[in-house]
Amino acid sequence: MVENHSREDHETGGENKEKRPKFFINDHVDILIEILERLDGPSLCVAASVCRLWCTIARNDSLWENLCFRHVSPPPSSVRSVVLALGGYKRLYTGCVRPVRSRLGRVRRATWAGDEVQLSLSLFCVDYYERLGGSNSNGRLVEKSSPSSLMFLCKPVNV
Amino acid sequence: MLRYDSTSSSAGSSSGSLSSSSSSSKPPQQDIDGLLAGAGYKVRSSELRQVAQRLERLETAMGNSPADFSQLASDAILYNPSDLACWVDSLLTEFAEPPPTCSSDFIVDPVNNQTVVNSAWTAAEPHTPQVHQNITYDEQQSLDNQLTVVTAMEEDSGIRLVHMLMTCAECVQSGDLSLATSLIDDMQGLLTHVNTVCGIGKVAGHFIDALSRRIFQGMGGGSVNGGSAFENEILYHHFYEACPYLKFAHFTANQAILEAFDGHDCVHVVDFNLMHGLQWPALIQALALRPGGPPLLRLTGIGPPSPDGRDSLREIGLRLAELARSVNVRFAFRGVAASRLEDVKPWMLQVNPKEAVAVNSIMQLHRLLGCEQTRNSPIDTVLSWIRGLNPKIMTVVEQEANHNQPGFLDRFTEALYYYSTMFDSLEACRIQPEKALAEIYIQREIGNVVSCEGSARVERHEPLAKWRRRLSGAGFRALRLGSNAFKQASMLLTLFSAEGYSVEENEGCLSLGWHSSPLIAASAWQAVPAWDNHMSSS
Repeated sequence: MVENHSREDHETGGENKEKRPKFFINDHVDILIEILERLDGPSLCVAASVCRLWCTIARNDSLWENLCFRHVSPPPSSVRSVVLALGGYKRLYTGCVRPVRSRLGRVRRATWAGDEVQLSLSLFCVDYYERLGGSNSNGRLVEKSSPSSLMFLCKPVNV
Repeated sequence: MLRYDSTSSSAGSSSGSLSSSSSSSKPPQQDIDGLLAGAGYKVRSSELRQVAQRLERLETAMGNSPADFSQLASDAILYNPSDLACWVDSLLTEFAEPPPTCSSDFIVDPVNNQTVVNSAWTAAEPHTPQVHQNITYDEQQSLDNQLTVVTAMEEDSGIRLVHMLMTCAECVQSGDLSLATSLIDDMQGLLTHVNTVCGIGKVAGHFIDALSRRIFQGMGGGSVNGGSAFENEILYHHFYEACPYLKFAHFTANQAILEAFDGHDCVHVVDFNLMHGLQWPALIQALALRPGGPPLLRLTGIGPPSPDGRDSLREIGLRLAELARSVNVRFAFRGVAASRLEDVKPWMLQVNPKEAVAVNSIMQLHRLLGCEQTRNSPIDTVLSWIRGLNPKIMTVVEQEANHNQPGFLDRFTEALYYYSTMFDSLEACRIQPEKALAEIYIQREIGNVVSCEGSARVERHEPLAKWRRRLSGAGFRALRLGSNAFKQASMLLTLFSAEGYSVEENEGCLSLGWHSSPLIAASAWQAVPAWDNHMSSS
């Protein structure tokens, strides 16, 4: 009995749900989401490359919404529609909230947590506006495809 | 540096008993300084001054090349420090401190702390200097990060350049154009000895150009101010990206406008210089998220007419409208094309009496200041019709400089100081081509301040104190900008990688400066209701 059991374990590998008695995280997507919700930005990006299921979950904007407002009191519901219109929470986080937080982390003050998000939202909006310019105008030299307004948030790297 | 009374050293034999480290086997030397001997150092009184000078040189050398210093710390062979004179000399030869007559550039890469010698040494002293060849830098990065450490000679050149600029300006003021011309030639020659990539050399170059334009082309200076509107917009946009002055202006003004519009359902913003409308996305977003929902927002943007039939104002309006639509803010745009602000008449703005009006002027009011204080100067006309609109708030952002003085030399001096500071702050910017185009933008301002006169000179900056007097006299009272604006401005500055920016609050107005020299000031105003009007407070 025991031998049969172990032979089946070897044969079926990790994906045969019915025969495998152990706990397998991909079977419990709700728990998986709970775990992924608690990751930070870089870890979430890494998690997205684990497998297709994790990738789909990690792309879900609500996870990134959680990241943005993690240390802040819950924002009014109107924020969501604005952020989604301007490009989504993942973009907001990677483009604005994360660089703003890491820069301000040097001089972190507790009272700034909510204002950081406000400032990030404003910068995000300016960025969206500049991206609008790139698609609309023909033959104008000004607008670039990269978000120029947020360049100053990038770490000083050779550009 | 301690002062030594020579009489005390002659009594050295008596105070020599205090010294503990001097070897008692040596016969006590009469001219060993007594005070230093008490501290354990043997220095001859006759040599005190030289040793002190050499210590100063050593300190400078240590400050200039900290990498060598750490090498020294691990170096075991050192002379006995109680023989102070020899010890200092030995350290000095280790550092290979350059003789003062050498003309070379030291370039210290502040990030990597490496010293790279730029040009050849011409050593005048017998001991051979060591040339540090630690060249493991990325060329591109070193070009961006170069901070020139001035040797004595180069500092000299910089100071000479400034003196010559002032002398030249004085000649121009007094009308001695032949001397001014020869000074220009000398200065251009001197520029070749000075680093023009950064620092005083770069700014001086622009001022020399402006002066020569003034001398040779007269004061029309059309080419300086005559860049096309399209060019100006591009330069302005890059100035916006490269340094925080315009961002500070926009965010501070927006915060004040947002607070003034609290509780109003129909609001109207009049922008005196629309450009690309970069100020307004943030306000639209903030209005979209305000508790109670967004108001109906009308924006009237004033700007120069486009020459080639393109309606650039309308294009910007469409872009802003699209943004507003995405975030569900009811929005209406109107463009007013006028080449000068004084040509705008209030009826063109079509202000509805029921709406709350905000007037926004980012570096526009100073253009209305004519040189003569006539009765109906443009500034008075415009201020009076603004007052007639009864705006909830008027946000004014102006350069914090005194560039409208009648005397040319005073103006020149102020401008030299102001723009040097601004160029200094721009050094921290690392993104190209933003930095280069921002410099051209500033260069055009310099050209206008220095080489233009009369109606061509539009960059007539005045400091905040003068604006306060002027606006109070025109029937406005100041509104305090509030702690939210200050907090936001501080946060914004922290995001910029440079460490030298500072925000200051000054009687309710905010100013942004570089190393505590204010460069741009933001203030908010409200019209005082006229006394003979019906006393209805809004």
